[in-house]
Amino acid sequence: MKNRMLRSTLVMMLSLAVMTACTTNGGNQPENGQNDPPQPPQPTETNTNTGEVGDEVTLRYAVWDANQANGLRVMADEFEAANAGIKIDIEVVGWSDYWTMLEAGATGGSLPDVFWMHSNEIYRYASNGMLMNLNTYIESSDQVDLSKFPQGIVDIYNFQGNQYGVPKDFDTIGLWYNKTLFDEAGVGYPDESWTWDDLYDAAKALTKDGVYGILAPLHNQEGYYNFVYQNGGTIITDDKQSGYDDPKTIEALEYYVRFVREGLSPEVYGDAERAEAIQNGLAAMGFFGSWNLSGFTANNFMAEHFDVAVLPKQERQASIYNGLAHAIAHNTEHPEEAWTFTEYLGSKEGQERHAELGIAISAYEGAADLWVSSNDTFNVKAFVDMVAYGVIRPYSNTTIVWEDRAYESLRAAFTGDVDVEEAASNAASAMNQILAEE
Amino acid sequence: MAGYKRIRVPRNTWNMWLWGWFLVAPTMLGLLILNIIPIFQTLYLSLFKSGAFGRGNQYVGIGNYERLIADAQVWHAVANTLLYTVLVVPLSVALAMIIAVLLNGKVKGTSIFRTIYFIPMIAAPAAVTMVWRWLYNPQFGLINYVLTQLGLDPVRWTTDPQVGLISISLIGIWSIFGYNMVLLLASLQEIPRDFYEASDIDGASKMQQFFIVTVPLVTPTLFFVFVTTIIQSMQVFDVIYMMIDVTNPAYERTVSLVYLFYNNSFRYMDKGYGSAIVVLLLVLIMIITYFQLKAEKKWVNYM
Repeated sequence: MKNRMLRSTLVMMLSLAVMTACTTNGGNQPENGQNDPPQPPQPTETNTNTGEVGDEVTLRYAVWDANQANGLRVMADEFEAANAGIKIDIEVVGWSDYWTMLEAGATGGSLPDVFWMHSNEIYRYASNGMLMNLNTYIESSDQVDLSKFPQGIVDIYNFQGNQYGVPKDFDTIGLWYNKTLFDEAGVGYPDESWTWDDLYDAAKALTKDGVYGILAPLHNQEGYYNFVYQNGGTIITDDKQSGYDDPKTIEALEYYVRFVREGLSPEVYGDAERAEAIQNGLAAMGFFGSWNLSGFTANNFMAEHFDVAVLPKQERQASIYNGLAHAIAHNTEHPEEAWTFTEYLGSKEGQERHAELGIAISAYEGAADLWVSSNDTFNVKAFVDMVAYGVIRPYSNTTIVWEDRAYESLRAAFTGDVDVEEAASNAASAMNQILAEE
Repeated sequence: MAGYKRIRVPRNTWNMWLWGWFLVAPTMLGLLILNIIPIFQTLYLSLFKSGAFGRGNQYVGIGNYERLIADAQVWHAVANTLLYTVLVVPLSVALAMIIAVLLNGKVKGTSIFRTIYFIPMIAAPAAVTMVWRWLYNPQFGLINYVLTQLGLDPVRWTTDPQVGLISISLIGIWSIFGYNMVLLLASLQEIPRDFYEASDIDGASKMQQFFIVTVPLVTPTLFFVFVTTIIQSMQVFDVIYMMIDVTNPAYERTVSLVYLFYNNSFRYMDKGYGSAIVVLLLVLIMIITYFQLKAEKKWVNYM
């Protein structure tokens, strides 16, 4: 009797335990298996002013960066004051959960009204009709002028001639350096004249007493991508082929990996470990994007010892840059109000306020200068200077997948198990396989 | 219609039946909605190539399974998962048994110790992992600090492919053994004093008592502990997810099946392939549990 009870308990436990692994999966798949093709963008209703004047409309505005939320709240308050009847509810969800949340929202039909879009994901959302086509709104707007934004960023959010996002900001990658250590070692501070050789020599001179000269982590955007483009190489060609087997790319990777292999850089892999290493004085130089600015400004050690400069050059100057945009859900219940808010965020006035508050580098022409004066701890002008020769972060329809495949291949070069050329060619074939299935 | 006789059910019996169903309904519904339906949905989904946002799924038959068999990473994950189980289960159960026996004796402050050992089970795995990450940190971690103070070489706990899985197993053992210990302790306390007194009179030593009286009498609980710990270990995910990135050199040697399922389903948005991976896990667990139930007859004593 006891035996049978135990058995049945076990069977229950087994099925319970196994299936907890799957529940998260089955949960948000209401219509799987229906072989319906991706639906075209649904025309949005135009009769939104259904006589509900006086009623308050609350817009859900989703963002992933908690550092920017305070400044955005100030902007939202000012917007609410100027636009009676519209309330803005800011939802902050961290980067990786943000996309899980948005995916679930898109599948279940409950997307936020206005939200941030990224180059990695725009294709999936735009091609599946999840975003509102902004063409007519932009054409009839006297506040949003796309020609005032960097063309590269506008293009990211344009899918088949339709604009699905209004640019918000841009980011570039800077060379952060420890002034104190440079002074002690008698090395001149980095500037726009620096070449790869200067960087290498400085790294060598600064590596001593348990401190590494540089931080060269296995990271694409805040790492080797910049060097690939400085050397005239590429990550993805115009006809959607991998650039990892390009001799120029391999040369850049060889230069970059050498820092680790020669002991000038610690072997650092995780994102958290990277920031930790620079903030604890483990390395004298490091590459970090402009979005780290508020975190670094708040860190006493960084504020006291560090400053930032433009990246060095080889064949040419280059820094990877990327920009976010504001997108509106295809099925928002308040398209007019959502547009009014998006329009404000993309207007000259809104973009200048965005810069003044130091939220991020505003994408609007000239507004970036206001952003520069919002921070006097570091030489943040370097970030803006690099836009002139910035290269848009490489992307395609399946960016995340081939980026991970490339990491998987390149790891072995960083640990020294495989030489760079072989690792790069592995990365190229893995990436091409993914690109072929796009 | 012929030969069919209607049975009149007395009103009282009806009432009892209704009450019975009513009382089990919450559990039944929960199981059905959260467990049983998803099992079939997962099986169904594993036959499709996923379209974006749950739309446009294409039927590919066993395509995902063919891909799975040819995917070296999946087999690495199977090996890692099994190795993790082999590392965690025997050690954590043995440790749980030893401590349970010690606590079952006349120790002062038994309940304090019991609480201390049980705490890892209550703490959120994410928080536990954060603490362990600090301990394991190659440059600033406590463990490496102690090692260097002792004149030993620091170990790259989370990035060395040879060590990564061991580091993760240590966390696994530390987290689970307290729970197992409490189960075993409860079972130990059910053993009647008479057996020990009788064996004392017969002149059995403490060691002999442990192997001849204690162990056979806790085998039913031991069996339960083994089966549940194995299943739990096979599903290891959160610790690895929080500690090992795809850029980590130890990734290939630590990635578990559930982690791979997560990456494919939620990172690469390929839910079909992710489902196929989790079905493979289900089959593995079923095979292992089948053999355990077979073996049960050989070594488990029911009083």
